[in-house]
Amino acid sequence: MKLKTRLAVLVCKAAGAVLRRLGRGGTNLPGKLALRIDGDILGALSQGVKVTVVTGTNGKTTTSRMIEKAFEDAGLRYFANKSGANLLTGIIAVFAQHCTLSGKCPYTHALIECDEAAFRTASKFLPVECLVVNNIFRDQLDRYGEITHTLNAIREGITHIPEATVCLNADCSLTASLARALPNKVVWFGVNVPIYEDAAHELSDAPYCIRCKTEYEYDYVTYGHLGGFRCPKCGYRRHAPDIAVTKVVSAGADASDVLLSVYGREHEVHINLPGGYNIYNAAAAAAAAHVVGIGEETALGALAAFECGFGRAEQFSLGACQARMLLVKNPAGFNQVINLIAHDDGVCKLAFLLNDRFADGTDISWIWDVDFESLAAQQARFTRVLVSGIRADDMALRLKYAGFPLDRLAVVRDFGALLDEIGADDTPAFLMPTYTAMFDLRGEIGRRTNVKAFYE
Amino acid sequence: MKTELNICHLYPDILNLYGDRGNIITLRRRLAARGIGVTVDECSIGQSLDIDGYDIFFIGGGQDFEQEVLLRDLAGGKGRDIRTAVEEDKVFLAICGGYQMLGQYYKTWDGVQLDFIGALDIHTVGAKERMIGNYMFQTTPESSGALVVGFENHSGKTYLGESVAPLGMVVAGFGNNGEDQTEGARYRNVFATYSHGSLLPKNPVLCDFILQTALERKYGAAEPLLILDDTLEQNAHDYMQKRLSKA
Repeated sequence: MKLKTRLAVLVCKAAGAVLRRLGRGGTNLPGKLALRIDGDILGALSQGVKVTVVTGTNGKTTTSRMIEKAFEDAGLRYFANKSGANLLTGIIAVFAQHCTLSGKCPYTHALIECDEAAFRTASKFLPVECLVVNNIFRDQLDRYGEITHTLNAIREGITHIPEATVCLNADCSLTASLARALPNKVVWFGVNVPIYEDAAHELSDAPYCIRCKTEYEYDYVTYGHLGGFRCPKCGYRRHAPDIAVTKVVSAGADASDVLLSVYGREHEVHINLPGGYNIYNAAAAAAAAHVVGIGEETALGALAAFECGFGRAEQFSLGACQARMLLVKNPAGFNQVINLIAHDDGVCKLAFLLNDRFADGTDISWIWDVDFESLAAQQARFTRVLVSGIRADDMALRLKYAGFPLDRLAVVRDFGALLDEIGADDTPAFLMPTYTAMFDLRGEIGRRTNVKAFYE
Repeated sequence: MKTELNICHLYPDILNLYGDRGNIITLRRRLAARGIGVTVDECSIGQSLDIDGYDIFFIGGGQDFEQEVLLRDLAGGKGRDIRTAVEEDKVFLAICGGYQMLGQYYKTWDGVQLDFIGALDIHTVGAKERMIGNYMFQTTPESSGALVVGFENHSGKTYLGESVAPLGMVVAGFGNNGEDQTEGARYRNVFATYSHGSLLPKNPVLCDFILQTALERKYGAAEPLLILDDTLEQNAHDYMQKRLSKA
C-alpha cells in the first residue's frame, strides 16, 4: 500500500471521527480531504472487493436496502453506503471507514448506491461485479440539465467496467438503450403487466424513440414512460426480461404480492413496501442477487423481510395518529405516491412539505407536472390537507388549482404545529416531504417524547 | 352567444419540461371561475394547425433531444401558420424554448446556426454558462405592469430586434441575456418569457391581462374580468418577491 494512500485513509478516518463526535455525519469533507491526498484512493481501497452498484433516478435507496437484506441473509461479508453518501467523496469515505489503517479491506462485498452523475467517475475506480440501473426520469433539471445528460453519464460510466454484469430495466426505453453495443453481460428485469387500473395521468419523459425519434407505441404502460414500448419505425423495442413480474396479485397500502419469474422459475413474492415503483425495485434487487450468486429462496425472502425507513413509506405514531412518510422528489415518484394513496381506501389526512434547497431542487416548477387532480377527485376521503415547507405557498396554490376544497386546506409552516395537527385525531395520515423537508421533519419527530419512530 | 376562448397547446408532448402545463391549468380555471367557456386542444407533430379555430396559443419549453423532430414539423407548414396567426394579432404565450423558437434563429456557442420560425424579430445565441434561478421582472404598462416572479433556466441569450419590445425589465436575475436588463418579448399579442414557475399561477395579474387581450381581440371591447379571490396566488407571489428583494 502506497504511503499517500495510508495517509489519505488516516486523514479520512480521523476527519470522519471528529465530525461524528461533533454530531455532524453525512458530510463530504473526509472524502474530499482523502481525494486531495490520493487521487486514486478509491481504486486502491476497493481492490479485490466485489462491488454492486445501484444507480438510476428513482428507487436507488430502496433497491439497495432490498439487496442489502439479501446480502445479510446470504451471510456475505459486506458493507454498504447510505443515501446521503452517494457522491464520489461519500463513497470514498465509506470505503476508508471500512478499511484498516493500512488500507486493507476485510470485506468481500460492497453495496454502493451511486448518484447518476457521480457514477461516471466512480466507475473508473471500482471493481464492479454487478451494476443495477433502475430507471431514468426527469429529475432536478436545475442540476442535471437534460434527461439525456443523465443517460450519457451512465453510458460513459459503464464503459469503465466491461467485466461487470449490468441489470437493466427492460421497461424503460432510456435505460434499455444502454444495452446497445455493450460488451457487458446484461440481465433484464421488468414488469410484464399493468400495475394499476386507473393510474395517475402523467406526461411521458420519453415519448420519442431514443434511436430514430419516432413516437413509440405501447402494448401497456405501468407508469410514466415504463411499459411495453416499441418503435414502429426502427424496431427498437422492449427486451423480454429475464427477471419478470408476471402478475400483480395485490397492491395494497402496506405491501404488494406478485408472481416473479426468475429465468422461467415462477415464485410468489411478498414485497414489504407498497407502491408500483417498489415492485420494480424488487425485480431489480432480485436481478442483482442473481448476479451476485445468492440463492433464489434467500433473495426473494429478503424482499418480504427488508426494512427501509428514511421516508420510504416509513411509519410513525404521531399522537393519536398512524402516519406514513413517503419521500417525494420528482413528478414520476410523486405520481407513484399518488397512485398508492388513490388505490388505498378509507379516510385520511394529507400533508405536503415542499422545500427548495439544493438537495430538493431549487426549481419547484415540477409540482405542476404532478397529477394532484386525481387526488382532488377523491377529496371526500381527506379530512385535512396540510401544507408546509419553505415553498408551502406554492404548494397550496398548486392544490387549489388541482381542485382541492379550500376549507380543508391549511398552510402550517411550523413543523411542530404541523405534527400537533396531524396527531390531534386518529385518522391516519400520509406525509409527503421533499428531501430536506424529510430530514427536518424527522428531526422534529425525534425531539418529541410522545413520538416513537418504528420500522415494520 | 356564449363567451368562449379556445386555447391551442402546441407540442404538449415535447415542450413540457418545467411544469409549463400549469399555465394551461391556470388559464382554464380562471376562465371557468368567471363563467367564460374554454376549450383546450393539443396540436403536436404531424397534426395540422387550424389557426382560425383558436384565440390563444401556448408553447412551452423543451429539451434539445426533440428539437430536430420539432424543426422538421415546423418546416412542414406549421411555422408559416404560426407566423400568420401572430400577424393576425392572435394571442400567444411562449415560454423559454417556445419563446426562442418564435425567433429568427438560434446560434450555438460554437457557431452552428439553427433557423427558427421567424415570427418575432429576435435571435438567440447559446452560452456555456446556464442562467438558472428564481428571478423577478417588472412588466411594461403595455403588458399589465405587474411585477412577475418566476424561475429561469436557459443557456441561450436572447436579443430583441427593433420591432420587438421587452415584456419587462429585470429586477433580480438574468432575463433575456444577462446583459441589457430586458426580459421576454412583446410583439402584437405575443407574450414571450423565460419564466417557468409555472408563470401564470402566481402571477394572476399578468394571466388576466392575457385573457383580457384575447377577449378583446375576439369580441371587440370586452367587459372587465370579474375579480377573483387571489389570496393564495398573492401569497406565493409575495413570498418570492420578498425573498428576492432581500438578496
